Amino acid sequence: MVESGRSALLPAGLRGNRLPGMSPGLGKSYMMLQSSTPVREFLLAAVSIALVTGIALLLAPFTGYQAIALLYLLLVVVVGLKLSRGPVLTVAASSALLWNFIFVPPHFTLYIDKLHDAMMFATFFAVAMAMGHLTSRLRLSEIAERRRERRTAALYELAHQAAFTTDLDIGLRAALGLIESIFGGQVALLLRQKDHSLSTVPHPASSYSLSEKERSAAAHAFSRRMPAGKFTDALPGSEALHLPLQGRTAVMGVLSVCSSSRKSLDPSEREMLEAFAVLIGLILEKEHIIGAIKRSEILETSERLRRALLDSVSHELKTPLSAVQAGMDALSKQMGPNEEGRATVREVQSAVQRLHRVINNLLSMTRIEAGIVQPKLDWCDIGDLIQSAIGLAGDAASGHRIIVDADENLPMVRIDQALIEQCLCNFLLNAAAWSRSGTNIIVRAALEGDSLVLSVLDEGPGLSHSDLAHVFEKFYRASNARPGGTGLGLSIVDGFARAHGGQVLAANRAGGGAEFTVKIPVETARADGLGDLA
Amino acid sequence: MSENSSALIIDDEVQIRRLLRVVLEAEGYRVLDAETGRQGLSDVALRRPDVVLLDLGLPDMDGLAVLRRLREWSHVPVLILSVRDGPEDKVAALDAGADDYVTKPFDSAELLARLRAIQRRTPSPGDDPYFQTGHLAVDFSSHTVTVKGHEVKLTATEYALLKVLAQHAGKVVTHKKLLREVWGPNAEGQAQYLRVYMTHLRKKIELPNAPNKLLKTEAGIGYRLVMSAEDKIPPSP
Repeated sequence: MVESGRSALLPAGLRGNRLPGMSPGLGKSYMMLQSSTPVREFLLAAVSIALVTGIALLLAPFTGYQAIALLYLLLVVVVGLKLSRGPVLTVAASSALLWNFIFVPPHFTLYIDKLHDAMMFATFFAVAMAMGHLTSRLRLSEIAERRRERRTAALYELAHQAAFTTDLDIGLRAALGLIESIFGGQVALLLRQKDHSLSTVPHPASSYSLSEKERSAAAHAFSRRMPAGKFTDALPGSEALHLPLQGRTAVMGVLSVCSSSRKSLDPSEREMLEAFAVLIGLILEKEHIIGAIKRSEILETSERLRRALLDSVSHELKTPLSAVQAGMDALSKQMGPNEEGRATVREVQSAVQRLHRVINNLLSMTRIEAGIVQPKLDWCDIGDLIQSAIGLAGDAASGHRIIVDADENLPMVRIDQALIEQCLCNFLLNAAAWSRSGTNIIVRAALEGDSLVLSVLDEGPGLSHSDLAHVFEKFYRASNARPGGTGLGLSIVDGFARAHGGQVLAANRAGGGAEFTVKIPVETARADGLGDLA
Repeated sequence: MSENSSALIIDDEVQIRRLLRVVLEAEGYRVLDAETGRQGLSDVALRRPDVVLLDLGLPDMDGLAVLRRLREWSHVPVLILSVRDGPEDKVAALDAGADDYVTKPFDSAELLARLRAIQRRTPSPGDDPYFQTGHLAVDFSSHTVTVKGHEVKLTATEYALLKVLAQHAGKVVTHKKLLREVWGPNAEGQAQYLRVYMTHLRKKIELPNAPNKLLKTEAGIGYRLVMSAEDKIPPSP
């Protein structure tokens, strides 16, 4: 499966044009082009010289010995196109000598008796050597050109994968196959995990299994964002080369290439491997980003849905309540001086208000649990916050003496004022419900380090042991609670505080009574730093 | 004032429309009503009400869309009457051109006070240069501010803030609008300036220990200069 998939995805240029007899795998043919295998080439050179000498022997009686020199020159050119420098020069030298030895009279001696023959031999020798040298240079540059072309094709292929593959695994398999075939040896891919650490298990497409030592070299490459292992300065004793997969913003993993036969890596090969690593990094990063976008879209849709549902529930509950309240207001006006009737209306009105509070609490709790409470931070004056919260508590706390204990010079804080106001208001309502009318309620505000600490202290009965543990739980009601509450007020404070990254605390005061605290991390700004802009 | 006023209620709930009609007629308004956003828009165009009470959750189109369409060609005062009580909903409506916002369920007296406030025309230069609410008096011609008859010195910024709030007395003024009008169009993000100057202004014009404050904070939305208590009591029928 891997094999067939790989060959199908290889670039066309690499798929065809294999040099004859150089199999299996492209990698080897690629390596053949760079390093000559001398024995084979010299053998080929010897055979071709023998062949040409044979033909020359047959032709010599008809053409004369001078034309034979041209035949040998032709051989040098042909050999120069196919073989590398060493064999070509050998062919050039030996054909000059052979020509002299066999064909130039006197035959079968290296001795030349005529001047023009000697000149011809010298010229022949020089031309053959030059020819051999030039053609082999031509061939070397052709090889280099072809290698560049293949490299470009391979990179193009990988880039194509990056842009168009929908299945990441297929793309990675193809990429690893490509690297394996070009560089020879085995390849492994370690990917970045969700927690942004490097996986210890290679991607399934890997052909190379990393030892403990190699894994730590890979981890080194990952954390330093630098190549490590063989052929590098970092941990050069390793068996494989580890390249970080550097995306645009993050390292997405490590590519490990192990080729035990390799003694060195030339700069252009290294460059190419690094280009591969970058490309794979970009593919992975692209996948990562697409995944993140999809997840946030799903989240957004479900959040929108929840909001819509809540809005609709809220509408259905509050609309009839509005009708009752407006109706009662109208009725109360129409009653005129009927005191008894008015008293009844007032009863209904206060029941409506209570119901309204319960509905609001239930809706707030639902919002908290649905996770759609998102604080909108803005600058806020703490004194203003406290006054607004007292105003919000309204009549429920008007029978108590509310004492504000806050430093006038507290800085501005960045919070969601509406949420924190509601927290403080719920504390006040709780304090007012649990302590006798006429007693003191203290509202305290202070900054402790980077946190805003708001406390409400009452003179009520305080909290029992089990109250202290459970008082912020949803629907928790103290055993001695008076009827009317829902057990939601304090858990809403808890929810809002958490949404703010803060926490709530309940305690008993030393002198009796309870103390509720909300503590939120805040950003602060000193007012005196601001000049009069007007 | 409401003797000859007409009010248009745009709300899809028939019960709310009927009850609002009772409340508003008792106050002397001529009441028109519309069940959908489209009908509401055509009613505003054809019947020219003096004030509009708009629900945000309408069956055919969103209330905010109705408001934006309306604001393309009309300056009629609009009071939003909605169950949506989040600050962001309110700010969105006020930014879209609503004059004020009342959440359902509503207190009828409060609703009527708000209606009166938004119907009061925003004073322009050359109008009555004198403003008073409770213990506070502002003379726009001489830039003097008095609290209980004693003059208080305000800085230029504090005065500018107070002036904007007084011009919209009884109505909520958003942070954005205050910043824009006092500090200019580039200051909309500088919320901390506003908080600081509001704190200073409060110290100068609020009476210590007064149960009812003049400057009311609407968390996450803006500020409201409350009209005096007498102004809130509806005239007896």
